Amino acid sequence: MNIHDNLLGREWVDRQHFDCFSSKYVIGEVYEIRQLTQTIREYNARLKEDMEPVPGQFAMLWIPRVGEIPLSFADYSKQTARLIISRVGRVTSYIHENISKGSKILLRGPLGRGFTIHSKRSCLLIGGGYGLAPLYYLAKILKENNCRLKTLLGFKHSEDVFYVNEFGQVSEVHVSTEDGGKGFKGTVIDMLEKIFKEEESFDVVYACGREEMLMRVVQECVKRNIDVEISLERQIKCGLGICGSCSIEPLGLRVCRDGPVFKGDILLQIKESEIESDGEKICLRH
Amino acid sequence: MSKTLNNFSSIREKVSHGKITVDLTTSISKLSLRNPTVLASGILGSSYSLLKRVEDAGAGALTTKTITRDPREGYVNPVFVDLGYGYLNAIGLRNPGAEEFSKELSRATKNIQIPIITSIGGSKFEEFIFVAEKMLEAGCDALELNLSCPHVDGYGLDVGLDAKLTCEIIKQLKSVSSKPIFAKISLHQSQKNLLEKYINAGLDGITAINALKGLAISIEALSPILSNVIGGLSGPCIKPVALAIVYEIHREFPDIPIIGVGGIQSPEDAIEMILVGASAVGIGSAIVRKDLKIFMEIIDGIERFLLDNGFKSVKELIGYINRR
Ligand SMILES: Cc1cc2nc3c(=O)[nH]c(=O)nc-3n(C[C@H](O)[C@H](O)[C@H](O)COP(=O)(O)OP(=O)(O)OC[C@H]3O[C@@H](n4cnc5c(N)ncnc54)[C@H](O)[C@@H]3O)c2cc1C
Ligand SMILES: Cc1cc2nc3c(=O)[nH]c(=O)nc-3n(C[C@H](O)[C@H](O)[C@H](O)COP(=O)(O)O)c2cc1C
Ligand code: FES
Repeated sequence: MNIHDNLLGREWVDRQHFDCFSSKYVIGEVYEIRQLTQTIREYNARLKEDMEPVPGQFAMLWIPRVGEIPLSFADYSKQTARLIISRVGRVTSYIHENISKGSKILLRGPLGRGFTIHSKRSCLLIGGGYGLAPLYYLAKILKENNCRLKTLLGFKHSEDVFYVNEFGQVSEVHVSTEDGGKGFKGTVIDMLEKIFKEEESFDVVYACGREEMLMRVVQECVKRNIDVEISLERQIKCGLGICGSCSIEPLGLRVCRDGPVFKGDILLQIKESEIESDGEKICLRH
Repeated sequence: MSKTLNNFSSIREKVSHGKITVDLTTSISKLSLRNPTVLASGILGSSYSLLKRVEDAGAGALTTKTITRDPREGYVNPVFVDLGYGYLNAIGLRNPGAEEFSKELSRATKNIQIPIITSIGGSKFEEFIFVAEKMLEAGCDALELNLSCPHVDGYGLDVGLDAKLTCEIIKQLKSVSSKPIFAKISLHQSQKNLLEKYINAGLDGITAINALKGLAISIEALSPILSNVIGGLSGPCIKPVALAIVYEIHREFPDIPIIGVGGIQSPEDAIEMILVGASAVGIGSAIVRKDLKIFMEIIDGIERFLLDNGFKSVKELIGYINRR
């Protein structure tokens, strides 16, 4: 079966009505900012219109005369959106320095395809860094759908740790740090292997974070026949699937439209078929 | 390879309903198309895998992103605005450059069965020729000179308005290759005398129209939305402009094949474009609302129209209204 047919199968299309999303800017006002770590902040904004994102979908945040960047919804309810923003470069530094309580922001979205929401299932969430953002909103919605949740949060250093209490309110939480300062000493993958060795099983695994970590998660899950969904990143320009900038090569999958959430097993299926026809390896880094 | 061929033959060229057969094929200069839909330049045309995906979605031919000699990062975001009645873009000719893209194109020409038209851009004679030679080496089926990008200074529109330069480029390319050369034009280059010069220089076909110059303001931000301020207007709102230009070109130059582009969002739009004189139709912005299934929607719709109205082929429809 052609991978793109699979991707565009009924299940995906029906779940998120793709023909009718809007890409107009919605105005919001920031009413609360929290410093989570030295480089990560949480921004809460009230919006003039409803956006109703599915967990895993994203918005483009436009800062006039500065730039426009993709951000996941870290939480959402009734015209209030939460964004978690890590300071990495030009636009995110500008935001950290200049956006304060009372600032107006402009968002377009929701864009892309989010995570599959199950009910009454046993779910494992795995994340690190600002990858926690979409997972927190996901955890809240899964909890409302009576899922049993376990969350693994991985960080490099103990001072990078954040959102443990927030996740704790909706899920069982395990933290790992590579320096061993907090929780399990090692990477989140070490922690995952340990949990799988203890014969714990899950219906679905969701992961968001660095790509090396995600590929390891997918490999571990596919070995055990567990459904896995991951969220990927590329340079987003149009955000609407038309410019080709966010393509995952050499697969031709657009992060902004076919993703950012992809089924892990689809990724591996694609990989095998690519290797067959071209003898080429997939490079997930750009 | 066999996978590709299977995909290819699954998309029909001739359709039989009982005794009646309709022919969806068309041609533009030396290119034979299984159906009249063409991916417009700048839309998903920057890598092999995306081009392949559009072939699998049913397209009759593909146009690549406009390729320049050197790589171009393009402009910073925002680069795309959804206006509701159309779209504004100022991507800034973002592309990997001739050297890098020729690798993608070589893969594409080996694995893709439908014609691939490579769009090329530049600000100087030498640049156009350099890119053209690389693309011809990589095996593209035709070249499209982007004479009309509305938002990059020194590229596109500026070149298109310099008729002497354009004619020199066309002559040079005709002397080194037998592949068809098309020109992508916009409102501004549709004057009869300009096109006549291009055609006398050897031009084989015209792609009309490119996006029109446009600007969008956000009053909330008291600011233009596009980082480049000026962009290109596309989508439903430019369809009447595109129809008028294609109509006039076809009336003046009935033997020159035209790829009609601008605001095609449905089978009806595509049929209108063919009726005024287009031999094929370019699909661009429609992908925002309808994604890649737009190709099969248009192909199926044209087929139904032919059957319902007693036409046997797409070719009968080309320029139909001019013949009345
Ligand atoms: C679907 C999606 C969801 C995201 N969600 C979040 C989130 O919730 N929180 C968060 O902090 N970050 C998120 N990001 C990443 C965030 O968009 C980038 O960190 C941000 O665009 C960097 O902008 P900058 O100008 O500060 O950095 P730059 O100075 O431009 O560059 C710094 C780094 O950011 C990357 N980057 C730059 N522009 C983009 C872009 N348009 N798209 C993707 N990556 C880019 C570059 O590759 C570079 O490595 C998400 C990205 C995607 C694709
Ligand atoms: C995002 C985007 C990028 C484009 N890039 C190019 C380009 O590189 N070269 C070109 O000749 N035309 C480019 N165009 C113009 C289209 O090929 C087409 O002529 C125009 O959009 C009108 O068609 P439409 O209304 O179907 O979109 C671009 C259009 C869009 C929307
Ligand atoms: S950002 Fe343009 S296709 Fe995804």
